[in-house]
Formats: sequence, structure tokens, C-alpha cells
Amino acid sequence: MPQSASMSLVDAFEKSATAAAATVERVARDPEQIAAAVARIAPAGPLAVAEPLYLPTKLFDACRHLAGAFDARSRKAMDDCAVGVTDAFAGVAHSGSICVCIDHDYAGYVSLLSRFHVAVLPAENIVERPGDLFRLDCLNGDGLRRNFVFITGPSATADMGPLVRGVHGPHRLHVIVV
Amino acid sequence: MPAPAPAPESPRAVANKSSKRTLLAAIKMALRIESSAVRHNTQTFNRNRYSATGALSDYDRLKDRARAIKERAIANIPELLATLEASVTQNGGHFFLAKDAAEATRYIADVCSRAGVRLVVKGKSMTSEEVGLNRVLQARGIEVAETDLAEFILQVADEQPSHIIAPAIHYSRERITALFKSRFKTDLPLDSGEELTRFAREHLRQKFLAADAGISGANLIAADSGSIVLVESEGNIRMTSLLPPLHIAIAGVEKVLPSRADFAPFLELLAASGTGQKLSSYTSIITPPLHAVPVLTNSDAAPRREFHLVLVDNGRMTMRQDPVLHEALYCIRCSACLNSCANFQTVGGHAFGGETYSGGIGGSWEAGTRSLDAARFNELCTGCSRCVSQCPVRIDVPFLNSTLRQRLNRRDAGKIAQLFSTVLADGSRDPVDAAPLQKLFFGRYDLFGKWGSLLAPLSNWLNAIPLTRSLMEKFVGLDRRRELPPFAKPTLVEAWRQPPASPALAAVEPPSTAVQPAARAVLFADIFTNYGSPSRGLATLKVFQSLGIDVVVSETCADGRAPLSQGLIAIAAEQARRTAELLRRYIKDDRDIVVIEPSVLAMFHLDYRRLLADAEGQLLFQILRDHSFDAMEYLWSFMQGVGLNPAMLFPASRHPLGTRLFYHSHCQQKTVGSALATEALLRAAGFDVATSRVECCGMAGSFGYKKEYYDLSMAVGQDLFQQVAEAEADGPRVLVATGTSCHEQLAAGLKRNVLYPTELLAALVPKPESQNRKPAASHA
Ligand code: SF4
Repeated sequence: MPQSASMSLVDAFEKSATAAAATVERVARDPEQIAAAVARIAPAGPLAVAEPLYLPTKLFDACRHLAGAFDARSRKAMDDCAVGVTDAFAGVAHSGSICVCIDHDYAGYVSLLSRFHVAVLPAENIVERPGDLFRLDCLNGDGLRRNFVFITGPSATADMGPLVRGVHGPHRLHVIVV
Repeated sequence: MPAPAPAPESPRAVANKSSKRTLLAAIKMALRIESSAVRHNTQTFNRNRYSATGALSDYDRLKDRARAIKERAIANIPELLATLEASVTQNGGHFFLAKDAAEATRYIADVCSRAGVRLVVKGKSMTSEEVGLNRVLQARGIEVAETDLAEFILQVADEQPSHIIAPAIHYSRERITALFKSRFKTDLPLDSGEELTRFAREHLRQKFLAADAGISGANLIAADSGSIVLVESEGNIRMTSLLPPLHIAIAGVEKVLPSRADFAPFLELLAASGTGQKLSSYTSIITPPLHAVPVLTNSDAAPRREFHLVLVDNGRMTMRQDPVLHEALYCIRCSACLNSCANFQTVGGHAFGGETYSGGIGGSWEAGTRSLDAARFNELCTGCSRCVSQCPVRIDVPFLNSTLRQRLNRRDAGKIAQLFSTVLADGSRDPVDAAPLQKLFFGRYDLFGKWGSLLAPLSNWLNAIPLTRSLMEKFVGLDRRRELPPFAKPTLVEAWRQPPASPALAAVEPPSTAVQPAARAVLFADIFTNYGSPSRGLATLKVFQSLGIDVVVSETCADGRAPLSQGLIAIAAEQARRTAELLRRYIKDDRDIVVIEPSVLAMFHLDYRRLLADAEGQLLFQILRDHSFDAMEYLWSFMQGVGLNPAMLFPASRHPLGTRLFYHSHCQQKTVGSALATEALLRAAGFDVATSRVECCGMAGSFGYKKEYYDLSMAVGQDLFQQVAEAEADGPRVLVATGTSCHEQLAAGLKRNVLYPTELLAALVPKPESQNRKPAASHA
């Protein structure tokens, strides 16, 4: 890709993710700032925070005190979850995807059942292509080990005629690059 | 007793295409009910694919890697299955290899019964359709909820899939609204995509939360780790594989790759080639059973997760031994060959498909997993070759279909046809090419052309009278509404041998013998040009000679295209060898091969690789491929090479027909990459060129001449006719087309004259008396 060579991976990621109907913002790696960003963008309602896998857990402390935050992992609570916050262990510049480990804590549920998914992505973990995740020398070979999902924009369907965003998975995806 | 005619409105009634009657009923049904939604949706996929694959800078390299991995994997299936079984078991899962549909469904039903399953949520899986899983589970009293929205629609409507990745592609929004309103008896507003999606989401959410088991397919499987890839956009497959404590994945044995690292090239290829995205919304890479605690269970005690991987043979291991059909096992079910197919775009998979699989590749899959008879819909593959360059694993889909046709021909050939088959074998001693009369007629066009031209004008007069037409329709299925191009007298070769008799050639000033020609070429007198439209060849000679190109005309020789398209592969191979040997003599004499008819050029560039299979043949194929060119492509590269300016030599502004053109390139010409040169040259000459955007005109060689496909062929042509109309909104344009059949189709649909590109240029070649510039070659 000629442009991406001259563009930083973060810029390229932002461009592709936006094209895939996600929203992206860059925030300092600071608990208060991350929580403020979540509060700014997320709608009111029950909010679940999954234990991060890559980023230090204290980075999410302030989020756990936002209005609506809950810890009950009951079926009902999960189903009603309006906002889900997880970390993402990788981003992909070409496709604008994020990689979320679905097997760690509740990240799998939170990133799937909530209406609005907010993912916090460390900027240094953005790779160029999806295929990079399957190389041993990329991110410690984690893409070869983890149970994860490439998430590219919100869930969508064209089965009902026109393109509709928001089906079984989240209706919106917001990526906070730290 | 003949079976009662199936109700034409019901897709299920026409799903099994074992009889031709059902195939024709399905086409009728699809044209009437499903065509507009299918057309809109497949063409959207098609456009998106072109832009997504265009954005992959290493597209060709990815395809090569993917193809190499699949070749290795299919060659090693037995070993890979053993490795995979060990991996899955070690991960704590269960592995089952089912030899057929009955074994697969029984195993899954038993697992569900043992676990006390009452409700299963399912993600889209073509393999589960193939084995008929839902019926078996339901017979055990288990409720099955299809959760992919398209599958949900089909479950409500009780229809089979019409597309391999978008199974309800034949449903318009309006028809879904009507369906839901009548089945769910609801007063909710369901008049937009959003409302319908919300309705289905709420309905299925309850199922997800209550399900005891989830059943998914698997797009790819890694033997070394037991990892699977699940591609989707709605989130239902993630639900299916994460929420219920019991997860069963079912897939064909061909999905297994050696290692997880091998997933790399496939993810982007699948998304780009299918929906035309960079990646689908969700591409899960998991090694089940998962470890995440199942929180959404009905009981408080978190049960252990259980995972079963069910791999299905069901004919695949036999396909693997098949010298031709084994290639179908490389298929990653991306649907590019469906979306890039003009016939598929017009009728969809309920006509161009069987009970499970559809489109160009679908025939091989139905033949492999069901029966050869069930693959009869392969007839709708016209061999246009548009899918060949679109397939991410480089499967030669048209050749697979020619092979199916050959096998079906043998089954269909009646006694009389068998006799004719021997007479018409054209030197091929292979008895495999027995075929019905219609196939023989179209396959041996060279003979009919030869006799027709010999007997012209009598043959043309006969051809035009209603009695002959109705006889032809009755005996060989040539639609009486179609006109065969009149047989030429003289043929191209005859006209070349007696130049003075040919006014077209007489008008050209021969190149000065004092000048060393800058290029040496031979114009291949293909049978279509020679017997059907020599004017295209003569115009080409005139233009070439005006530039000082030393050009001669070859003898005529059947190249194999006609028999290949009818599944007469042995005859095609015989003709291919004869043609290649003939042309090799010219190549040895330092001449480039110039081809008028693009379907013949595609033989040289693509099909001869198959038809000339031995070592000597491969050599012939390579020589011919490297030395053969489309006439306009040759002209353009010659002019660029010696620095000739088309605007000076063929100034559009002086053209008696004006400068405005509509150019339609031929399907196979696009595939071999020779279409762009024509456009470039015409533009450089100053023409205002509007172009068609269709994959194929719909005539596709002999396809549109056949009585049973006339309506379909004309329906396909509508897009092209429409594009002409749009391009002419601001005034008329001269129609220019490269292929003979495109020519016929445009002429039939628009009742207009159509020119071959060199015919257009020939009108700008100065008459000898007024020609005072020196032969162009002296500029070189
Ligand atoms: S044959 Fe090729 S293009 Fe067609 S579905 Fe299979 S992989 Fe895709």
C-alpha cells in the first residue's frame, strides 16, 4: 500500500477503522483520561469492564467507577449491558481491525453482548496486515496462541435488504488508542 | 409415468436438478420472482470485490500462497486428519470423522441427546445443509434455531440457500417484510432493513440466551493446533461458539490446513473475494473448547465446556482421487465465482445451483457430494471465464464444468447421437465424447461452417427459411428467434488467396518491398472469422498493411473452442494440438500470431494448458501463449514500440461515423487481459469511448443460440442494452465489440450495426491514390 508506507500505522489504522464504521480517538495512557473518554462517548446505562489482558489493570480503575458500572456477571446483567469496555491486544492498519482475546475474563461476552463496545488499544501493537498475527516474531507470537477475534467495525448485515449496522453484536465500536 | 411438473413457484420443488425439465422450470421461476434481488445483490458484491482485491497490493502473491497451501493440504488429508484428531483430543475436545451424511447427523444428534439438549442455535454452515442436519435433530425433538439472518429467513420460508455466503440473496426487503408479516402475525412495523433486523434480533436473542448447544461450521481448520476460523458479520457465530456450554463444529474434510500459521493468506482473501471487505466484521480464531467461564447458563453451577469437531467425508475422499474434480476441494467458498458470473447474477442459485451448492463451482460440489445428475445445472456455466481470474485459489471453474458436461453427455447420448458422435469425432479416437445432437452440432461448428460456406448462398437461403429454422430448433435446439451469422463466400482464406477479387484488400497499398518490415505477423483464420465474418479479418489486414506490418493469413483450423464449450473435451484436445502445431510453424518463421476472435485467444492463453497435457503439449502451449495477441493489442503495442501516433494515423475527427463510440469488450478478452489495449488505442486516436461494465453479454458463444436458454440469455443482455442506452443519453454512439457472439447479441437486442475495432480503423486508412505518406515502417 503506497500511502501506508508514508503514513504511520496509527494514522492508517484510524483511516481504515473509520472506513469500517468504527470511531477512533487517541487518548493519553492515563486511567482518568480513559474513563473521561468512555464517559464522553458512551450512552448512559449498565457498563461492564472486562479485566484487561495486555494493558495494566489499573488503567481501567477509573472506568470501573463510572456511572452504571457493574460487576455482577449474571446472565440478566450481561444481556442488559449497554456499554462494554475491553482492551485489544492488537490492531491492524490495513483493515482497521482490533484483536480482542475472547477467552480472558469476560472480554468475550462484554465485547459481544453490549450494544456499545469500547476497546482500548495500545498504539505500539498496531501491525500492518491481518496475516502478521500469524507470525512468531509478531507480538510474541500471541496471534498463534490466543483465542481471539478480529473485530472490524460494528456487527452488520445486508441480509434484510439494505446494509444495517448492529445485529447480534454491538451496534457501535469505539476504539481508544493509547 | 412422467413425474408431475413441480410447482414453479417453490424453490424447494426445483432444487434437485437431476432432470433438465426441473432445470428449465427453475430458470423460469428465478427469472420471474428472484432475478431483480439477485441481480442487485450479486452485482454489489461484484463491484465491492473488485475494489477490495484492488486494494491488496500483494493480491497475486496471496493467491499463489493460498493455492500452494491448499494443494499441499488436499494431497495430505489422511495425515492431516490424524494430526488434527490428536490436537483436538489433547485440547480436551472430541473429534469425529463421518464417512457420510447419515453418520455425521447421527453422531451430532447423539451428542445432543446425551447432553439433554432441547434448543440448538446454529451459525451458517453449508456442510450442515449438505448433510441435512436440521431434519435429523428436529426428528429427535430438538428445536433448531438458525441464527444467521439469511438462514433465519430461509428457515421461516422453508427454502434452500441460493448463494454460498448470502443464502437468502434472492430476497428483496419487500419480500422479507411480506414473509415475516404472514408467518409471525405481527403488527410491528417491518418496513425497513432496521426494523426487520431489530425484529429478528429480539427473536433470536431469546434463543441465544436459552440455548443448550451451539452448532457452527468452520471456514478453516489447523491440524497442528486444532484451531478453527469462523468468519461472519452479524455476531451470531460468536454467540453460537461462546454462549452455550456445548459447541459442535461441522465441516468438510477439505477445510483442514497443516498449521495455524497457514491461516495467514486466507483471511484477507476470503473477505475481499466474498463480501468485498478488508475483513468481515468478525473473524474468530479459536482453539475450542474455550476456557471462558460460561456465565449465561440456565443453572448457577457453571458446567464444563464441551467441544466436538465433526469432519465430513461424504464423497470428498472420492473427489480427491478424481483427476479433474479434486481441484474443487481447494475451494474456500468465497463466492467470487458466483458474483462474477453473468448468468448467476441474473438467476441466482435456485436455478444455477442444486440442493446445497450453487454457481460455477457448485456443480462439482453437487456431483461430488450427491450425484453427477444433480450437477446438471452446470449447463449454465457458459465458459465465459470471468471467474477464473477472480478465484482466490485459482480454480479453473469452467474446465471443471466442461468435464461434468462431458460425463453427462455420455449419459445423455441416445442411439442416433452415439452414431453421430463416432462420425463427428474429428480424429479423436477417444469414445468419451459421445453426446446428444445439440452438443455435437454446436461443438462441430467448424464442419457446419465449412459446408455452409461451400454451399453459400444456397445454405444462407436455407438458413433463413422458416422450415429450416423450425427443423433446426427441433433437432439441434437452435432457437428459431436467433439468426446464425450467414456463411461467408468467399471465406477469409479464399479472399486472402485471391486478393484482386477482394475489394477490401485491393484498396490497400502493399508495403514497400524496399523497407524492412518492422513486424511479422500471421493472422490466424479462426473458424468463426473465416466462415462467419471474414470482414473482421480483412479489415485487420488492411490496417496492419497500412502500417507496413508484414502479415499473412494462416489456413483455417478448428481451435477446439466450440467442442470444449459443449464438453467434447477429447475432440477439443485433438483440434488444439492440430492448431498449435500449425501455428508453431509460423512462430518458427518469426511471425507473431494475431487473433481476431477473443474466445480463440483465450484458448491459447488458458485452455491449451489443460488440453495439451503432455510434456510436448505444455511446450506448445507456452510458445503459443507467449506469441499470440489480440489484433488491437498487437497494433497498439506495435505503434507504441515504433512511436506511431494513433491521432495522426487514425484521426477520429475524420471518421465518417463520428467520434462517439460505445465499446463492449468480450468476457474472455477481459480475462486474458487484452481488452484495455483496444480502449487505449481508440482513445489515443481521439475517440470518445464509453464502455460496458458487464461481465458478459449473455450470448456467450453458443449458449444464447440454444432454444432452452434464449430467455435467460436475453435477460442477461438487458444490463448491456441498458448501459448502451445510458451512454447514449446525450446522443448516439457507434457500437464496437470484439467478440463475435457479443456482436450477435448487441445486434439482436438493439437491432443495430456493430463494428469490430479494426473495421472502425480501416475506414481511416487512406486510399492508395490519395496515400502520399511513406510506409509507416520507415519511421521505425
Ligand atoms: S471456486 Fe474459487 S471463486 Fe468459487 S467459491 Fe470456491 S474459492 Fe471462491
